[in-house]
Parts: sequence; C-alpha cells; structure tokens
Amino acid sequence: MDQEYYLELSENPVQFENASSVNNVFFDEANKQVFAVRSGGATGVVVKGPEDKSPIAFRMDDKGEVKCIKFSLGNKILAVQRTPKSVDFTNFIPDFPHLEFSHECKTKNANVLGFCWTNWNEIVFVTDQGIEYYQVLPDKRSLKMLKSQSINVNWYIYCPETAVLLLSTTVQGNVLQPFAFKNGTMSKMPKFEIELPMVPKPAKISLSERDIAVSTIYGQLYVMYLKHQSRSTNSSGAEVVLYHLPREGAFKKTHILKLNTTGKFALNVVDNLVVVHHQSSQTSIIFDIKLREPDCAVNVHQPVLPARSIHPYKIPLTGPTAASVPCELYSSSWSVFQPDIIISASEGYLWYLQVKLQPTVNLLQDKGKLMDFLLRRRDCKMVILSVCSQMLDGGEKGNLPVIATVFDKLNQVYKEYLEAEQAYTVALESGPSRFSSSYKRPVRTQAVIDQSDMYTHVLSAFTENKDVSHKFIIAVVMEYIRSLNQFQITVQHYLYELVIKTLVQHNLFYMLHQFLQYHVLSDSKPLACLLLSLESTYPPAHQLSLDMLKRLSTANDEIVEVLLSKQQVLGALRFVRSVGGHDNVSARKFLDAARQTEDTMLFYTIFRFFEQRNLRLRGNPAFNPGEHCEEHNSYFKEVFGEQTLMKSAAV
Amino acid sequence: MAADVHNKGVTWDAPNGSLVPVDRLRSERSDSPTPGLVQGTEPGAGQEHAMFMHAQSFEDLAAESESNPDSDQAEDQSVLGESQEASEKEGEEEEQRGGAEPEEEQKDQPEENQKQHQKQKQEVQTGVRGKEEDVTSEAWRRHRKHVFVLSEAGKPIYTRYGTEEALSTTMGVMMALVSFVEAEKNIIRAIHADGCRVVFLHKSPLVLVGVSQSSQSDRELSRELQYVYYQIVSLLTLTQLNHIFQHKQNYDLRRLLAGSEHLTDSLLRLLDRDPGLLLNAVMSLPLSSSARDVVSTSLQAAKAKSLVFSILLAGNRLVTLVRKKDQYLHHMDLHLLFNLVGSSSSFREGEGWTPICLPKFNTAGFFHAHISYLEPKSDLCLILVSTDREDFFNLSDCKRRFLERLRKRSAYQALQEAVQTPTYPVSQVGIPELWHFVYKSKSSGLYTSPELPVPYQKEEEHERLIGLYRYLHSCLHHPTRPLRSVYRCGDTENLFAWVSTITTAAFNKQV
Amino acid sequence: MLMISPRMASGTQEKQYTPSLLSFFIYNPKFGPREGEEEKKILFYHPIEVEKNEKIRNVGLCEAIVQFTRTFCPTKPAKSLHTQKNRQFFHEPEENFWMVMVVRNPMIEKPSKDGKPPTVEYQEEEILDSVYGAVLQQCYSMYKLFNGTFGRSFEAGGVELLIQKLEKFFYRYLQTLHLQSCDLLDVFGGISFFPLDKMTYLKIQSFVNRVEESLSLVKYTAFLYNDQLIWSGLEQDDMRILYKYLTTSLFPRHTEPELAGRDSPLRPEVAGNLLHYGRFLTGPANLKDPEAKFRFPRIFVNTEDSYEELHLIVYKAMSAAVCFMINASVELTREFCEQLDALVGPQLTLLASDICEQYNINRRISGPEKEPQFKFIYFNHMNLAEKSTIHMRKTASVSLTSVHPDLMKILGDINSDFARVDEDEEIIVKAMTDYWVVGKKSDQRELYVILNQKNANLIEVNEEVKRLCATQFNNIFFLD
Repeated sequence: MDQEYYLELSENPVQFENASSVNNVFFDEANKQVFAVRSGGATGVVVKGPEDKSPIAFRMDDKGEVKCIKFSLGNKILAVQRTPKSVDFTNFIPDFPHLEFSHECKTKNANVLGFCWTNWNEIVFVTDQGIEYYQVLPDKRSLKMLKSQSINVNWYIYCPETAVLLLSTTVQGNVLQPFAFKNGTMSKMPKFEIELPMVPKPAKISLSERDIAVSTIYGQLYVMYLKHQSRSTNSSGAEVVLYHLPREGAFKKTHILKLNTTGKFALNVVDNLVVVHHQSSQTSIIFDIKLREPDCAVNVHQPVLPARSIHPYKIPLTGPTAASVPCELYSSSWSVFQPDIIISASEGYLWYLQVKLQPTVNLLQDKGKLMDFLLRRRDCKMVILSVCSQMLDGGEKGNLPVIATVFDKLNQVYKEYLEAEQAYTVALESGPSRFSSSYKRPVRTQAVIDQSDMYTHVLSAFTENKDVSHKFIIAVVMEYIRSLNQFQITVQHYLYELVIKTLVQHNLFYMLHQFLQYHVLSDSKPLACLLLSLESTYPPAHQLSLDMLKRLSTANDEIVEVLLSKQQVLGALRFVRSVGGHDNVSARKFLDAARQTEDTMLFYTIFRFFEQRNLRLRGNPAFNPGEHCEEHNSYFKEVFGEQTLMKSAAV
Repeated sequence: MAADVHNKGVTWDAPNGSLVPVDRLRSERSDSPTPGLVQGTEPGAGQEHAMFMHAQSFEDLAAESESNPDSDQAEDQSVLGESQEASEKEGEEEEQRGGAEPEEEQKDQPEENQKQHQKQKQEVQTGVRGKEEDVTSEAWRRHRKHVFVLSEAGKPIYTRYGTEEALSTTMGVMMALVSFVEAEKNIIRAIHADGCRVVFLHKSPLVLVGVSQSSQSDRELSRELQYVYYQIVSLLTLTQLNHIFQHKQNYDLRRLLAGSEHLTDSLLRLLDRDPGLLLNAVMSLPLSSSARDVVSTSLQAAKAKSLVFSILLAGNRLVTLVRKKDQYLHHMDLHLLFNLVGSSSSFREGEGWTPICLPKFNTAGFFHAHISYLEPKSDLCLILVSTDREDFFNLSDCKRRFLERLRKRSAYQALQEAVQTPTYPVSQVGIPELWHFVYKSKSSGLYTSPELPVPYQKEEEHERLIGLYRYLHSCLHHPTRPLRSVYRCGDTENLFAWVSTITTAAFNKQV
Repeated sequence: MLMISPRMASGTQEKQYTPSLLSFFIYNPKFGPREGEEEKKILFYHPIEVEKNEKIRNVGLCEAIVQFTRTFCPTKPAKSLHTQKNRQFFHEPEENFWMVMVVRNPMIEKPSKDGKPPTVEYQEEEILDSVYGAVLQQCYSMYKLFNGTFGRSFEAGGVELLIQKLEKFFYRYLQTLHLQSCDLLDVFGGISFFPLDKMTYLKIQSFVNRVEESLSLVKYTAFLYNDQLIWSGLEQDDMRILYKYLTTSLFPRHTEPELAGRDSPLRPEVAGNLLHYGRFLTGPANLKDPEAKFRFPRIFVNTEDSYEELHLIVYKAMSAAVCFMINASVELTREFCEQLDALVGPQLTLLASDICEQYNINRRISGPEKEPQFKFIYFNHMNLAEKSTIHMRKTASVSLTSVHPDLMKILGDINSDFARVDEDEEIIVKAMTDYWVVGKKSDQRELYVILNQKNANLIEVNEEVKRLCATQFNNIFFLD
C-alpha cells in the first residue's frame, strides 16, 4: 500500500507564524511569498519566500487593517492596501527615499478589489468598475497611469506566469474577460463564457472564484472550471472543465475531467498533471490531458490512476522532544494555490505538491499507457528504464508485442529529439543570421532515452541473465534494433556486438549468417574485425567479413592484409590491381608473404610482377634500396639463378 | 635392347611381302620436305580429303578396330598425310632424353650384359622401378600414374611400379571386372573416386589399366594406354600376340618381353613430358632449308631395294624423313621409334639391327630397323627401316653412302652446328610475360615449343606444365563438346589455347 | 523405362533417348556375409521385377568395384563406374550402407536399311558425374528428411522395418526423379533467397519471434516468399533439403489461385477482425471440416547430434509461406491448429502484402536496367545462396533453361574443373556455336555466365563479366 502514494508534500516546507487574531497571513502567488503581518505591521512583518533563506523582516506603522500586501517583482517596491480606495507604496530599493506614499484609484466611487504587480514597477488596480494600469515611479514617489478600462467586475484572478488577468463580469459572473500585460502594454483578449450547470432565475452571481483556477499546462494557458453537479442519471458527478486560452485567437473548451463524485474539491497542477483533491474522501486523483489525443473538440478524461491520499506527512515538533505528530491532510484550514502550492495557515506551513512516479508503475497495468504517462513527466528516466528491465525479466507470455510498443514509444521521443538537434545544427551552419536567434538549442529532457541508456541500464544486464532463454534475448534485442530502424535511427555498434555475442555463445552461427546476409547488422570496420575473429569457430565469417570490408569501400588496406594473412598473395595482388593501387603497394610485403607460402612458383610470379612494375615505373626492373627487397632478390637468384633476373634491356 | 631381341632369336616371320611394292624410280621418291610452316602456308590443309580416303584403306590394312573411342580420326588423318612434310621448322624445345644419355663406361661391355645394365640404368633413371617396392605401401599408391598390362587370363604382363608378381591378385580382379561387365554385353571404361581414377582398355589379347591421381581425363589416359599397347605390339606384332594366347591361354608374356620393360617405362615418361605424344606431332630440328635439302637428298640417294623409311633424328627431333612412295609413317609409329632409340644407349656402341613392328602401319608384320649414330658422341641417329631381315649389310652400306654424300656436300658441318643449338628462348617470340607455349601445325603434323623457362625445369613442375597442356587439349578436343578456345586464369599461370581449322596452340602466361 | 525426348533429329528417323534410370538399389554387405546369403544384403532394389540372381550379381559387382578401388585410394571410396552403356553411381551415406544408381547413357538409335535391327550409339560423354552423383546424395537426404537415418530404423525395427521404410519411400520418390532434366543446379542444391530491404526483414523477424513466443510448441520456423527463402531457424543442411522438398514438391502441388488474380480464396471467417488468406498446405485442408485430420508430415533434423523428429506444418497466406516445426512427441489438436490459424493468418496476410509492396518499390527504385540481360548462374557455398537467370523454372519434373543443353554441360565441365582444385580460378571458353561461357570462382563463390556475342574477343568478354559483377554483385567481395 505504502508504495502506492503517488502524491506527496515537499520535504522542507516554508514555515511561518500561523495565522491568529494578532497575526494576519497573506500569500502572494506572483513571488510565492508568505506575509505574516503582526498587528497591522506595527509589531513587524515577516516575508518568506521559497528561495530566499533569510526572510525579509520590517516594520510599518499600523494605519488600519491590511487587506492586501505584495512586493513587486524582485522585492523592489512594497504595495499595501488598507482602504477600498487607495493603495500605499514603499520603496525597498537601496538609497531611495524609504518614505511611504499612497495612490487613489482614478475611477469615481469605485472600490479597489485588489491589485497585482505585472513587473518590478508596473501594477494593475482591479476595481469593481474596471482596471487601472500604472507605472510606479519610486524616485518621484508617484504613479503614472498607463492604461485603464472600465468594466463591471465581480472578482478577478491573476496568473503571474503569463501575466494574464481574468475578470468575472456580468450579473452571473460567468463571462470571463482576460487581459494580458506585457512591459507597459495591456491587451484585451476575447472574453468568453463559462457554461453554468443551470441558469438561476432571477439572475444572480453564480460563478464563484473558488471554482476557477488558472494555470499553464504543457506550456499553454488553461482556465479550469470546477463544475459541481449532483450525481444523477445524466451526470457522473462533478467535473473539471478546461478552457484553453491561446495567446492569439479565441478560447476553446478543450477538456473535461471526470471526477465521478461530488463534494468539496481543490485543484493543483504538478508536472503538467491536473491534481484534484477531494476533501470528503481525503483522496486526490490526477489527470493528464495529453493521455488521450484530441479526436473530438472536447475530450473527456478519466483519472490516470485510482484515487489515493497524499502520502502521510509528519510535522516535527520543536523543542526537547524530537517527536513528530502526523499532519492532518485535506484539512479545512488548507488553502490551495496554483500551480502546486498548499498552505496550512493554521499550522503555518507552505508545501509544494509533488508527484512520485515509482508507485504509478504498479498502478498502471497497460505498459503502453504507462510509457505515454511517464515520458511526459519530469524525472522519468530511471523509472522508465526500471520499467523496461522489469518488463524483460518478467518474461510472461505474449510479452514481445508489449515490449515492441514500449520500444517504439521510447524511440519516438528519442527520434524527435535527434531531429530537433539536427535541425538546430543545420540552422547554425546556415549562418547565425536569422535562424540562430529564433532557434534555441533543443532541451534534452529526461524522456530522451538513447541507445547507450538502454544498453547500460537494461540490455547489457538482461543479456547476461542466465534464467532467460537466449531465444527471448535475441528476440528482444532484434525487436529493439527493429524499432530503431523503424524510426531511422542509426544503430550503435555495441548493440550489434550484443546480438553477435549472444548468437555466438549459443552457436547460432547460421542465424548470424542470415542476419548479415540481409544487412540487418550494418557494415562497419569494427564489426568486420569482430567477424574475422570468429573465423576459427565459424569459417564462413571470413567471407562475410571480406564482403563487409568491400562494401565499406574504405577498407582496401584491411582487405589486402586479410588476404595476405590467408596466404592468398595472388588474390591480394589482383585485388590491389582491381582498385588501381598496385603502383604504390609495398613490394616487400607481398614478397614476404609469397616467401612464407614456400611455393617457389608463386614467389617467382610475384617477383616477376614487381620487376615488371619497377620497369614500368622506373624503366628498370631492379628494386630500389628503399624497398628493402635485397634478401628476396638474392633468394630469387639462389632459386632460379642470376640469369633469370629480368634484364632492363629485355623490353 | 636391340641386341636382346636378337639374342632371343625371335623368329616369328610375318608375311609382310604385301608391304613392299618396291619402286626404284627416283622421280617417284617423295620430294624433299616443303618448308611450309616457315612461309606460313599449310600445304596439308587442302589435301585433307584425299588423305581421308587413304587413311581409310590404311586403317583396314592395320586391322585397327574402328570401335576404339579414342582413335581421333581427324588427327590421325592429318598427321598421316603430313608426316611426309616433316620439314624445316623454326624453334624447338630441349626435351629430356629418356634413357639416351651417353654412357661411355659401357663401351666395351659384351652385349650379353646389356640387358642387366639396361635394367640398372632404368632403375637409376626412373628412381622408382625398385622391384622391392611394397605394393601395399602408401608410397606405392601415391605414384601419380600407374599402368598395368595383363593378359585376358588375368596374368600380369607389366606394371610401372612394383613387381608383377606382387600384383597378380590385383590384376586378377581387374580382369574379373572387365569380363564381368563384358558378360553384360557392355564395356567397362573407368572407375572414378575423388582425385583418383582407374581407366580400362581392353585390346584383345591384352588388357591395359591406368590409375591416375592427376586430373587427367579418361580419354587422355586411355590414349596413353593405347600407346603402351602399341609399344608391346611393336615388339611382338599382334599376330604373334594372338597366336601365343590362342595357343596357350595363360601364357606368361613377361618371358617374351623380359628386358623390354624399360621401353614402356621410358614411353610413359615421354607421355608425361613430351607434348608431341599429346599433340600427335613431332618436333623437328631447326635447320636452314638448303642444309635440310642436302640432308634429305643425300638420304634419298642412299637407297636400297627393301628400304621403306629413312629417318634422321637429332635427339628427339626429326631432321628428315624419307619414305617410299605411298608409304606413310604414322606419328605413333614414329614416336615408338623415337622411344626405342631414346631409351637404349646400346646403339651408340655400333650399328644396331632389330626387328620392329610399326603397329599403325601394320600390326601383323615386322620391319627391320638399322639404327646407328652418325658419331658415337653425336645426337644424330639414323634409322633405316627395311622389310628384309637379311638386309643388315645393305643398309649399313646405305648409311656409309649417306655419310659420304653428306660430307661431300659439306652439309655435315651445318648439321653439327644445328644440333648444338636445338632450342630457343620464349622471349624470342617477343610477347612480354609469355612464359611458354606449344604450337602445332595440323597440316604438317609438326609442333614447336620454346625451351622450358626456369621455374618449369624442376621435374614435377615440368610434368605439371604438360598436365596443363593436357587439360587444355582435352577441353579443346572434347568428343561431343569441342571448344574453339579456352582461357584459364589460375593461381600460378594464365592459360590460353585455341584451335583454328588448321592449328592448335596453347599459351601459358602470367598476368 | 526408356523415355523418348521431344527433340528428334529432324529429317532422318533417328531416335534420341535421354538418360534414364536403369536401376537403383541399396545394400549392406554386412547383412549377408556368408556364401548363399547374398540376397540378405539387398535392402531395396528397383526395378522390383529384376530376377534375384541378377540383383545379387549387380550388387556383387558394386562390392567388387568398391573393394578394388580401395587398393588405390583406401580413404576415398569409389564414386562412379563408367561403362559404354551406362554409369553407376555409388554413395555410402552411412557406414556400410551403399546406395547405387544406374543411369543409362543417352543414345541415338539409327534405323539401318534393309531391315536390319537399328544400330544404337551410346553417347558416353553426355552424363556428368557431378550432377548425378549429387542427385543420388539428394535421394538419401530426402529419405533421411522424412524417415531418419538407416541406422536408427535398423536399431528400432531391424531389417524388416528398414526395408519397409525404404520401399514405402523410394517406390514413390524414384518416380519423381527426372534424370533428363538434371543439371548444374542439382550439383549446388542451393537455396534461392528473396531479396528484401532491412526494415521488412526485421518485421518478419519480429513476426517469427512473436509467433514462437506465443506458440511455445513451435521449435523452429522458416519463412519463404515466392518460393524463396527469407528466414530459416533450421540449420543450413536441414534447410537445404527441406527447401528442396518445398519448392520442387509441396508448393507446385498447391498452385496459387490468388496469384492468378481472380477468385482469391478470401475466407469468410473473421480472425482478429480481419479477413485473411491463411491456409494449411500440410495437415487439414479446411479447419471447418469436422472430418478434418490433424496429421502432419514428420521430418528428421539435426540427425548428426540431437536427432529430432518434428511435425512439419506449412502455412501459407498469399505468396508468403511459413514452416512451423513442432516436436513430434506432441499430439497436434484441432484447438492448436485453430489457435495457430487465428494468430498467424491475419498477421501473415498483412506481412505478405507488406513484402509485396516493398518488393515492388525496390523494383521500381533499382529500375529495369538492374534486371540482368545476362544469362548467369551464381552459387555461394557458404550460405548456399543460388541465383539463376538461365532457368525460367526449375521443379523436379522440368527444368526450363533458356540455353542449349550442351552449354549447360559445358558449365558442368567447368564446375568439375573448379571442384578439383581449391584455388580461385577463372575459365573462359568459346564453344563451337560461338557462345562464350565464363566460369569464375572466388573464395567460396562460383559464377557462370553465358554470353551470346559471337564477335567479341576475350578481353571484351572479360570486361562484360566485370560489368555484370559490378551491377549484380557489387556488395560482395568477388575477386576479378
């Protein structure tokens, strides 16, 4: 059971003083900072973010209850809202006047619902009557209006990642108007309507901000709508509806996540997975919107895995007794922020939600689906490799087709990466001019599992495994090679060696022969040499190796060596001549070989050949001292007599 | 050897009167040989048809069985016709002399001992004719070519290696096989095993068996067996052979042939080394046409009533051949004569007088050959073939007259010199990297070939070379699938052979 | 026994008789050592009618020949006996078991006038030892494939069983011998491999592996397309003879309607949501048939060592045929066959069309010029790969060659020359018909080319052959 918790809270949470009557706690999603404001700041403000170890602490005068408090990006300027009309600012930039200054919203009798920093010095006021976009001028201690837009607002949601602001408008509040901010400019995006389960009469606000979350999934901005509906004949309980907001163009309702239950829910997005927490059952479920390729406009998703609770968490007690108490999960005091943050104000903890992949392996039986799932996760490599190993050693019936699909999925990703790589290098070569700017080096994610990964972590161990039949081993390796070929990935030599090794170990030379015959094992010098080394046990290897060297067409020297070593001196000579190299080969090499055969006739022939060559090249049949053929010369004389030496005058 | 036959006093007389329609008219003597080849004309070519007719009649006379699969009609005819043209020819090849090296120490030995000496000499020459050789030994088996001759009773007559006695059972089996197959109205030809073949040739009353480890074809092998057969016939005549075995079925023919084994031995050696026997052709001594004319005319002049053929040899080369009109000397008979001369040194001791049957001419009767060297040390040997066995002194006189004329016409000097330089290097033909070749003119029945280049001078290389020519020859002259030309590129040499309507040649060249 | 060949010398009334089988017998000298027991030596004799004593005599002759030959080469037994009328071929496949095949030389019968009996002329040089020697050895291999070794049968059931097996097999097999159409290809006994691209080949690999995995009974698999081999799980020598059986006997018996295009037997039943063309060539003709028998031919492989007896299942879809070999001790049931049919049928059908497609693509790429205008035969001793553009078709019964028989014989001659020496050689000859015939031997490969270029000279011919090698064999090491 324990290994089945696939969600967990981060090891070291951000701790802060828990909320109380004297201590208000605020969370800024933009900087992911927690503000602990004791008695309106008079007794101090402590700001804790995930990165900065040393919390920022300061005081400010208590000018009334703090509604909202946020740093601009980089903690340059602090903004605090205390009244419904105005927001106060304080410079935190070194050697800038530290004095607080205040700014009122322009719109008459509008109430500021809140504000959000879009930059270190740009801020948006959201009022019930519209939005005002300002640039803060810390030195002048004043704000400059950049843009404003009047529109009735019920509530708003800001997505810091994309700097997109969503406004809930209309009476029912289900028409969402997004704005995008980018250094000083504000662009209005097409508004869209969230389909409500039922339209209330008379119209009243019926879409609460609690049921809407905004987050980027797979690099795209989505609005997630938690659609409550009682389970009934026509509905399987609540569902999450995803609306896709493209940077350009109209929004689209793209995904429906089936929750198959009702009750209180909270949403997170972790590693591009949508996590839905269900409070009453104290469990969570995850969805991967990519797991089903979009066939229809909206596609419906079931949870990837069965619902499981978050991994139990213990809160270490401070003080002498180093004991720890279990933390209550899914407590009502939890508040959940996008993308992956869970805060328990009552206990003063901020956690990041994390996905553990190992447990998913056993929960997801369909290996193909499992691979699709894992390949999209961040830290998937080792898990995937372990899945492969386990899959191979398992060796249950009908496994090969599964293995094949798994290999294909891996190599699909592998291939895509290689192509990106290649396109990139091509772009670079084609001159830095326009490409290099637009092209950035493709990132190699963990999902890219190449041949050496496969070899070192899976295959090498697998082929050593004595309990597995060699038949299966060969089948698997061939399957992998097949898959690589299918994606036109050049197979690495060591994989071929693996095949050959296995075949040779079991004397399956005829199989090997057939593989080579159909060039399944691609040609290479190392492979050719490997074959040569097999000749003693399997003579045909000699021919196979020669053929390979021939096809390589860059291995003529090797061929000559091979032939000479087999005492096929004449053959070697004829080959050299056929490739037109006979004018520069070393006469000595051939004469030596001829001598070793102890076939005087052969020696005579070879000797004559080179006499001819010398004559042709230098007009004199005699050998040059440089050729070191003296001993052969004298041997020739000794065997066939002085007079048999070719006379330069002969021709 | 000649003496041996004499001593044995073999006196079978063959009714060979039929052979001698003696004609004294000089005009009707054959002309001096035409120097056809030198001018590149092939006089024989046109006459083939005429020759054919003649050949037929000849074959009848020789009582040659037509059924013999190996008698190569075309060859025979052309050569029969052409041997008359034995004539001046460029370039010859030094040929190993069989048993013919001079042996001074034998000079003054009484003829009786000759036989003994011949034997010893043969042993020295062949190196393997050890009578004590163990016929079950691996060494005995490994001989490249065995030849056995046996009687139809299965009695051993000759074996090339080992002793006949030791092989009597083996030969018995051979005979059994032959007769078993023949009992089925069939003829046994050969047995093949990997790298070894046994070829049978039944020429009543003899059975000949050849065993070869080489790749030599059955046809070639059986051709060689025929040579051996004719060799034996030439000693006894077929008539005599038949007579013997009709009279005594399991007669031990070795009693008659004793001492003649070395003839067969040296014949077999010739077959292994002399392309002439392969090509059915002879090589002639290079000599200026004028000189040759003088020699020929001198020889013609030295005529006698019963003289049929006068042949002048230099070593194994023909200088000139003079024949009675309408009498033709088959190359085979000529080779037998060569072999006879080449394998016995006794003729150097003086004038030899021996009966000899020329089986291709007539298997029934004996000629009588007067054999003598012009000088003891010279290679020039004169063979005068007569039909009259009382003719010794007449022929001896012929020789004397011939020599006189020769000296008078001062052609002798030229002849002597020619004998000194009988060969030419292959480079003379000016084809670079040509190692060796053999060229035969069908029309004249002559062939030429340069001296062996160094690498082929070793005995086994020499025989390998001849083996190659044999291979080419049998490819070209395949009985049912003859070829125009053959090119073979092997590890040691490149071979090329072609046959045109009138010539055969085999080249041998390294690339 | 005599077979009159179609070709008769026109004009004259000459009759030409092609070589024909006179007799075929198997004996073991150890079985009847004593006088008067000779008959016991004879295990099989064809023709049966032959009178007992003659049988004994002929066997005696063979024994004598073998014995006699030993005196000259004890290690190398006699291979053949040449006589005027016939040739006898000897083969000792197992110790003391001798097979003898007697082939009558081809002959020409010339009617002689004035009513005398026609004269018969035997053509003694027409029969090539290498060819018929190989045929004889093939007889044994084929017997062994289906019956195992002589020795095993003898151990199992004594002479009786052996004799019975021999008669059962050879009675039928000898009728399928067509001696007049034997040629060089019989000497090679090669395997024609189907040219295929790497990817498709790998697909086939994984198909085979998957089937073997899910049908664990399957011990070996062989895959063929268009009667050409693509994959063999069997060892080379076993595959060689199995291939011979498939291509010359089994496949020809099942002609391909789907290849003829029309009325392809698309089977109604649906397996794996896919109509497929799969069907059994051995075993049940129709699975649906309640009477269907599930008996498959048995074959023997690896007789040297493990000596395995196997069921031979041959299953075919379109042009793709697969052999599944299963340990014979296993009883094959209807269920198994149905399982196999359901599993293999659809996959194989797909694969078959894949291969066909790929093949055509490659064809188009390589273009027609790659289709050789040359007439050649290629053989590689290493992998038994064989390619002939001379044979339009070669089955046991007919070998349609596009060249004159005499040229084929010249090829045979050259081949025997090669066989004699173990060195690389090249032989170029010009026949009297002015055809050029080229033989090339490099390492373990042999290539024979026939060129009809009357006026070409040696060098041009050599060039021509070089060109051929460049186009056809550029991917192998072929010395020239």
